[in-house]
Amino acid sequence: MSYAPPEENTLGVIFGRGRRREADATRRVIRAATPRRSSLGTGFIGIGAAVVVALRSIYGFAMFLGLIGSNAYPSPAPALAAWVVLLLTMAVTFITARVIGDHLPDWAFGLFLAGLAITVALDFVAIWPLHDIGRLATAASTAGFALIGAITLRRTGDILIATGVLGAILAVAMIVNTTPSVDNIAAQVSVFAFTILPPIIGVTIITGFRRLVQIELDRVLVQSTVSAPRFAVGMMASEELARLDLAAEELLDSVSTGKTKLPLDPKTASVAASLATELRLHLIEGRRETWLYHAITESDLLGKSVTLTDRASLAGLLDPQQRDGLLSMAWLLVSDTSKRGPSTTVGLVVGPAAASADPGQGRKITIPIVVTTTGVARNRVDPGTWEAIRKVGQYSDSTHNSSLRVAIDCLVDNPADQ
Amino acid sequence: MDLIAKERDRLLQRTARIYGLSFTVVSLMCLSIPGAVDRLSYFACIPLYIAIGICQWRVASSRSLVWVGIPVAAGLSVILVVTIGGTQPPGAAGVSAVEQLAAASIASAAITLTGSTLRRVLLGIAFITVTVTTTLTLAPVQSPTHSLAVCVLGWTLSTIVGFWISAGVPQAARRIASIGRAHRAERQASETEAQRRQGARLLHDTVLATLTLLAHSGVGVAPEALREQAADDARLLRQLRLGATPTPQSSGVYNLENVEETVLGTTLESVKQRFGRMGLEVSWHGTGQVLLPSDVLDAFLLALAECLENVRRHSGVTEAHVTITDDETTVRAMITDAGVGFTLDDVDSARLGFKESVVARLKEVGGKARLFSSPGSGTTVVLEVPK
Repeated sequence: MSYAPPEENTLGVIFGRGRRREADATRRVIRAATPRRSSLGTGFIGIGAAVVVALRSIYGFAMFLGLIGSNAYPSPAPALAAWVVLLLTMAVTFITARVIGDHLPDWAFGLFLAGLAITVALDFVAIWPLHDIGRLATAASTAGFALIGAITLRRTGDILIATGVLGAILAVAMIVNTTPSVDNIAAQVSVFAFTILPPIIGVTIITGFRRLVQIELDRVLVQSTVSAPRFAVGMMASEELARLDLAAEELLDSVSTGKTKLPLDPKTASVAASLATELRLHLIEGRRETWLYHAITESDLLGKSVTLTDRASLAGLLDPQQRDGLLSMAWLLVSDTSKRGPSTTVGLVVGPAAASADPGQGRKITIPIVVTTTGVARNRVDPGTWEAIRKVGQYSDSTHNSSLRVAIDCLVDNPADQ
Repeated sequence: MDLIAKERDRLLQRTARIYGLSFTVVSLMCLSIPGAVDRLSYFACIPLYIAIGICQWRVASSRSLVWVGIPVAAGLSVILVVTIGGTQPPGAAGVSAVEQLAAASIASAAITLTGSTLRRVLLGIAFITVTVTTTLTLAPVQSPTHSLAVCVLGWTLSTIVGFWISAGVPQAARRIASIGRAHRAERQASETEAQRRQGARLLHDTVLATLTLLAHSGVGVAPEALREQAADDARLLRQLRLGATPTPQSSGVYNLENVEETVLGTTLESVKQRFGRMGLEVSWHGTGQVLLPSDVLDAFLLALAECLENVRRHSGVTEAHVTITDDETTVRAMITDAGVGFTLDDVDSARLGFKESVVARLKEVGGKARLFSSPGSGTTVVLEVPK
C-alpha cells in the first residue's frame, strides 16, 4: 500500500475547499437517505398539480367547444389539432413522470415544451385571421397552465423560463395580431394573466413546500441529539477518526515496506506531524462537546444564528424533555423570525451551576440558562415558545435593547450522585 | 405543539397572499380601462380594492379570520358597485374585472379556509354568496352559465390547492420522521464506533509516538528499528479497522485476545523498548508481576508513557528510572530523572499535557498523580492506581 496524502484535513481546511462545515455532514446523510426529493411529499403535490391542470383543461375545452358551437373559427381544424396535441402532451408527460419515478429527464421536458409550443402555434394559426387572441385563445392559454404539471418534476428555474418565453410569445402575438380597443383589451389582459400567473404561483408554492420540508428535515435530524449521552461525539466523529487511522496506517505501512524512504522528506514529515496532531485532538478533545453544541453546529438553521456559551458543558446534564424544550425554543425563535433578515440572533449562556436553593428539591442542582436575542420582539414571540421554555424550567422574561431576554432556572440531577 | 403544522399554515397563508394579490392587481388593471365602469363607480371601488390588497397582504402573517373576511366583503361590494351601482351596465373590461375578482382574487380565501370545520363552513358560505351574486348581477351582460363556470372553476382550484397542501405536509412529515429515526440510529452507531476507536488508547498511544518520530523525519532513530515499529503499528491499525480492538501487550508478539487482567511486566517491556528506540534509556526497578484490570492498565501505561515522553523532551538527560511498587490496594509507579527540572509554578502543567493526559486518565480509573520538581534537581512523578 503506498501512501497518498489525505484529501482533506479533519479539523477543517486543506486543499482549497475552505472550512468544512458540519452541516455538510447532515446534508450527506439526507442525500443518502433520500435519493429523490419527491419521496418527501412532492410526489403527492405533483398529483394535486395534475388534478388542477386537468380541471383547467376541461374548462378550456368547454370554452373551445362553445366557440365551435358559435362558429367562431374560419376553419376549426388547427384549433382542434392544438387541443389534441396539448392533451396528448400532458398525458404522455404525466405517464412518463410516473413511470420514471417522479422526475422528468431533460429529453422528456424538452418533448413536453415542444408539445406546448406546437399547441400554441396551432391555436394561433386557427385564430390569427380573427384578430382577437384574448377572447379566442383556448388551447394556447391552457398550455401556460399545463406548466404547473411539471413544477414538482423540474427545477423552478426551468418552469419560470418556460413561463417567461410563453408570456413573451403571447404578448408579442397580441401586439402584432390584435388592434387594441376598449372592447378587447381587457380580454387580452385577462388571458395573459391567466396564462402566466398560475405557473408562477405554482412555483412559489412548491418553493415554499420544499423549504418547509428542508426545515423540518433539519429539525428532525438535529432532534436526535436529544437522546445523546452527556458528552457526545458529532455525527462525523467516528468517520473522521476512521479516516485518520487509515491515513496513519497507510503512512506507517509505506514506511515499513520501505516505499517511503527514511529519513523522511520534509513534506511527508509534516504530514506525519499534522496526522499526529489531529489524532491527538480527536482522541482527547472528542468528548468535550455536549449534545447542544452538536445540535447547533449540525443544523443549517440554528448554526447561522445561535451562539452557545457553555464553559462547563452543563447542557449535557439536561434530561431529554428539557433538551427538547430548549431546542424547540431556539427553533421557534430563529425560524419564526428568519424571514426578517440575518439580524436575528440567539445567544445561549449555560451555567455556572449552583446548588438548589429549594431544599424540597432534594439533591438537585440548578443550572441557569440565559437566552439573549437580537431582533426578536417580545410581542411577536410564538405562544409555543413559552410552552417550550416551561419544559426546560422556571423562567422569567424581560426586554433588553428592545429584544427578548429569558432567564431559565433549570433543575437537573446532581451528576455527583449518579 | 406541532411545529410542522405551524409551517404548513404559514405556507398556506403565503400562498393565499400571492394568489390573491396578483389577481387583485389584474382585476384593478381591467377596471381601469376606459369604458369599464362609469367614473363615479370607479372611484368608489378604489378604496375597496386598497382594503382588499391590505388584507391580502396581512393574511400571510396572521391566521385571524378578519383578513379573510374583509376581502370577501369588500370584493362583494366591488361586484355590486360595478354591476348594478353605476348609471350604466359595465363594459367588457368591467365584466372581466368582476370575473377576476370573484373567481380568483377573493377565491384565494379558500386556500386558508380548509383547516377546520368552522373554516370549511365559512368557505362554503363565501363560495355560494360570491358565485350567486356574481352570476345574478352579471346576468344582463353575460350568460349565467359562463359566470357560473368561471366562479366554480376558480373556487374549486383554490380549494384544491388548500386541501392538497394541507394533506401533503403530513405525508412529508411522516417520511421525514422515519428519516429522523434512521438518523438517530446512525448517530448511536457513530457514537459507538467512535467510542471503540477512542477506547483503543494504548494502540493510539504507540501510533502517536511513532508518528511523532516520523514527524521529525525519523532522525536519531535507527531506520531498521523505526521501520519495524511502523510495521507493528500499521498491523495494529489494520486490526482496528477490521473490527478488533487490539491491545499491544508486548513488543514482539501481539496477543489480541481481550484478557481481563494482564501482567504488568510484559507490557512495561514494550514501553521500555519504544522509548529505547527514541533514545531514552528506561531502567525498571521493583516488581514486574502485577495483575491489573485492562482498563486500569491502559490508563496506567498511558500516564506512564506520557511522563516518560516529558522526560525525553524536556529533561535534557537520556536516562529515566521507573520504580514499580504495590501493596494490597494500590500499584504505584515513580518516574524519576536527573534532568534540568523546573519550578512547578513557572511551567503551566497544562503545557506539559500533564493535566489532560496523566491526571485526567488516572482519575477515570480512580487513580491519582503527583509531581515534584525544582530547577537543577530533576523531576519525580508518582502515579497511583487501585488494584
